[in-house]
Amino acid sequence: MSVEILDRITEATYSKALALKPDDISIISAYSEESMLRFSNNSVTVIDTLKEVVVFLYMAKEEKKVVGATSTVNESNLDSFVERLFSSIKFTEKSVDYVPLPKIKSISTSRNYDSRIEKLGEKIVDLGGEAINAALREGAERVSGVLTANTESYKIKTSGGAENSDKVTSISINVRAFSGTNSSGHGLSCAASLPNFNGVEAGSTAGRFAKESQKTGHWEEGEYTLIMGPTVTADFLEIVGYSSSAFRVDAGTSFLKDSLGKKIATEDLTLEDYGAIEGGLAGRSFDDEGVPTQRTGIIDKGTLQTYLHNSSTAKKYGTKTTGNAGIIAPHPWNLVVKSGKSDLDEMIRETKKGVYVTNNWYTRYQNYVAGEYSTLPRDATFLIENGSIKYAINGIRISDNVPRQLLNIKGIGKERKWIEWWEVETPILTPALVIDNVAITKAQL
Amino acid sequence: MKTQNIDSELPSYAIGVAEKAGAEYAEARIQSDEHIVCMLKNGQQQPIAIGESLGLGIRVILNGGLAFSATNILDRIQIRELVENTVKKAKATSELLKNKIKFSREKKVKKKWQAEEKEKLEDRNFEDMIKTLKDLDGIIIERKEYIPMRFIEMEISFDSKIFENSQGAHVEGYVPRLYVSGFLTGMKGDKMAQKSIEYGGSGGWELLEKLKIRNGLEHQTKVIKDIIDEGRKMVPGSYDIITGSEVTGIMAHESIGHPFEADRILGREAAQAGESYLQPSDVGRKIGSEQANISDDPSIPNSYGFYLYDDEGIASRKRKLVVNGVVNELLHNRTTARTFKTKSNGAARSVGFDREPIIRMANTFVEAGDYTFDELIKEVKHGIFINSFMEWNIDDIRQNQRYVGHEAYAIEKGEIVNPLVNPIIEVATERLWSSLDARGNNLDFWAATCGKGDPSQGAPVWAGGPSLRFRNMMVKTR
Repeated sequence: MSVEILDRITEATYSKALALKPDDISIISAYSEESMLRFSNNSVTVIDTLKEVVVFLYMAKEEKKVVGATSTVNESNLDSFVERLFSSIKFTEKSVDYVPLPKIKSISTSRNYDSRIEKLGEKIVDLGGEAINAALREGAERVSGVLTANTESYKIKTSGGAENSDKVTSISINVRAFSGTNSSGHGLSCAASLPNFNGVEAGSTAGRFAKESQKTGHWEEGEYTLIMGPTVTADFLEIVGYSSSAFRVDAGTSFLKDSLGKKIATEDLTLEDYGAIEGGLAGRSFDDEGVPTQRTGIIDKGTLQTYLHNSSTAKKYGTKTTGNAGIIAPHPWNLVVKSGKSDLDEMIRETKKGVYVTNNWYTRYQNYVAGEYSTLPRDATFLIENGSIKYAINGIRISDNVPRQLLNIKGIGKERKWIEWWEVETPILTPALVIDNVAITKAQL
Repeated sequence: MKTQNIDSELPSYAIGVAEKAGAEYAEARIQSDEHIVCMLKNGQQQPIAIGESLGLGIRVILNGGLAFSATNILDRIQIRELVENTVKKAKATSELLKNKIKFSREKKVKKKWQAEEKEKLEDRNFEDMIKTLKDLDGIIIERKEYIPMRFIEMEISFDSKIFENSQGAHVEGYVPRLYVSGFLTGMKGDKMAQKSIEYGGSGGWELLEKLKIRNGLEHQTKVIKDIIDEGRKMVPGSYDIITGSEVTGIMAHESIGHPFEADRILGREAAQAGESYLQPSDVGRKIGSEQANISDDPSIPNSYGFYLYDDEGIASRKRKLVVNGVVNELLHNRTTARTFKTKSNGAARSVGFDREPIIRMANTFVEAGDYTFDELIKEVKHGIFINSFMEWNIDDIRQNQRYVGHEAYAIEKGEIVNPLVNPIIEVATERLWSSLDARGNNLDFWAATCGKGDPSQGAPVWAGGPSLRFRNMMVKTR
C-alpha cells in the first residue's frame, strides 16, 4: 500500500471528524505487512503473510473522550464509523484529567527502515533454513522457531497540528533447539535492518545450549545468586517498564506507587525509554497524541525519575507528557538498559552458589503492588558452584519479589542485545544481570 | 450477521484463484469482529472504545507446504495477487519441508449456526453498559476502606464468520459475547490482597444475571476484607486440599487441556507455547486416579468458548480427555487427525481473520462427582480449602505447575476455620491428579482468555469443574 493511500485515508477520516466539530481529533492510519516462517522438527510448518490497514481515532468534545479503531477503510464505512464513535461521546462523562491535544510544531521521522526487509519475500525460507542448519551443526537434533519480517507505515494528523509519516522495519528470529530427551536451548536475533540480523548466530546459540545442557544434576530449593541472560533480563525489566506507566500506577497494577524520586534499585541500574532510537524495533517518532517520542530516563542510577505519561496522566501528576500516549494508558516504546562492566565469564567466576538462566516464560503475579511473582526458567539452566558451572538443572522456578530483586542487583553485563519475542512484547536493549539472594523453588513430584 | 454487507462471494473467488494457481487444497474465511468497551478506573469513566475488524484469511496447501495469508483490503485485484503469492510461498517452502502437511478426510458440511441470544446485545447502548458498570462499582465502593484502587470494564462483542473450502464446505457462524473483568486492590495498614475478576459468556444481555456477576463481586470484596482483617500466615507442610471450581478449572486447563493439544504433542508450538508431557503413543496411559475425569466441550450453551463448527468447518463435540485417570482423547485439527490416523474433533479455532486456525480448548472442566461440599470437607482432618487464586504458572511441557491461593481457609477436623494468606501448591501433573480422591457435585465455570500461537491468539474459554479433594499435598508459603 502506498503512502498516498494512507494519506488519503487519514485526510478523509480527519475531514469527516472535523465536520462533526469535536474539540480534539487525532487520526493515525497504519499499514502493516508481516511475513512469518514457522518451523518445527527441522521442517516448515506454515508460511504466513499478513497485510492489514487500521485507522485509530481519538475525539473529544466538552472534555469527554472516545477512542476507536477500524480496519474497514472504505469511504462509506469510515464515515459511518466516525459518526457512530462521535455519537457515543454523549454517553461519556467529563474526564477529570482532560487536556486539549498538545500543540505540535514539528516531528522528525524515524530512521529505522530497511527496504531489504520489506522486499524479503520468499528469501525468508532461506534465512530460516540457515538458522536450522546452524543449530543442527552445533549438535541439536530437533529445531523449532519462527522468523518474522515486518514493515509498518504510519500517518498521523491531529487537531494539535501534528502531521507526520513514519515507516519502520524489523526482522526477528526465535530458535529453540532440542537435544536428547530433556535438553533444549534458545537463541534470538532481532534487528531493524538486515545487516544487524544474524539468524545463524541465533541457531548456533540454541544448538550449543541444547548440547551443553545435556548433563543434568540435583539441586535444592533455596536462595541463589541469579545470573539472568539478556532474554531473562528483558522479561524482568519489561515489568519495570510497564509498571512505570502512570495508568498502571493508578490502576493498582504497578509496584512503583509513591516511589518517585526514591531509590528503587542499586546504583548500577539505569533504564530509559527511547521511542525513536536508531536500531529500535518498535519505536515511532510520535505518540498517539502526536507528541514526538523522546528519550526518557525512567531509572537513573537506581532512582525512579518519572512515570511514563500521556497529556492526561501528566496533568494529574502536575508534570509534562513524556511522549508515551496511549490515549487511555501510556506505555514504553523501546526500553534501553545502560551497560555495566562485567562479562558472563566474570559473572560466573564471582558466583559461589548460583544459577545461570538463559530463557524464561510464564511470569505471573500474586500482587502487583507488592511485586510478588514467579516465573519459569526454560531451556538451558545451569547450577554454578564456586565460580564454575557444575551441570544443567531442570524444573526450577524463580519465586521472588521485583522490588527486592531490584535492590539486590549485583552486576550488569557490558554486552547488550536487542530482545523481543513471544514472551517479551516491548523491545528492550539489555545486557545480562546478576542478582543476589533470589528464591528458587521446585515442584512436589 | 455483521458480515452481511460484504461481498459474500469473496471466499469462493479466493478459493478459485488458489486452485487455478495450483493449490491442492484451499480455504477462505471472512471474519468480522466488533468490540465495544466501557471502563471505570477508581470510579472514573475512561474513554469509550469501539473496535471493528473485517477481513479475509486464506490457507492453501501445495506439495505438502502450508501457507496462510490475510488481508482487510477486500478488492478482488488485491485478493487475487495475495492468493497467487500465497500459493507461490507454499511452493517455496518445499526445500525446508521434511514433514508434508496433509488433512484428514472429513464430511462436507453446509451449515449456518449461532449462539443463543435472548436479549440481543446490539439492542443495548452505552448507557446500559455504563449504568451496569456503575452499579457494579457501587458494590466495591461499599468496602472502599479496604479497596483503595479498582478497575472494572465491560465488553460486548460480535464475532461473525463465513468459511468455505475447496472440498465444498460452507459454514456461517455468529457468536455475541459479554465480558466483565476487573482488578481489585485491597490495602489496609501493611496488609494487602489483590484479585483479578473475569466473567464472560456467549449470548445476550441475559448473561449479566446468568453469570451472577453482582453476587460474585459482592463475594470478592468481602473476601478481600476478610483476608486483610483475619488472614493468617500458614505453616508449610502436608495438607489435604479442597479446591473451589475456579482453582479446579485452572488446574484442568493448564495441566490437562493444553498438553492434550495434539499440535503441541507433535512439536508444532515448541518454540513458543511449548510441547507436552504426553507422547504421541500415550492414549491409554494412566495419569491420575480413578476420580480424574476431565473433558472439553465447545457446545455448552452460553459458554465463553462456545462454537458449533470450528474454523476448518468441522462439527464440534464434547471431548472426553481423561476418563477414570486414563488418557482417552486428544484435541485435534485436520492435520493432527491425519497424523494420528483419526478424525478431527473440531478443535481448530482462529480469533480473527488475520490468524491461522490452530488447536485450542473451548470449555475445559473436571466432570462433577457425587459429594456435597460439606461431605468433602467433613472427611478432612488437617487441610486447606482454596477457593480462588491469583498467581499461577506451568512449565512448557505442562508438568511443573504452581497455584497460589487468594481466598483460602484452614480446615481443622472437618470444619472450615480462619482465612489463610496465600498458600502455595507447586506440584507435578501426575502427582496432582493421582492425589485426587473425591469430586463435588457443584459444577461451575469461569471465563478466561487463553493464550497460544504466533502471532498470538487470545481465545475466549471457560474453565471449571466442581470442588475437588486432593490428599497429602505439600503446601508452601512465601
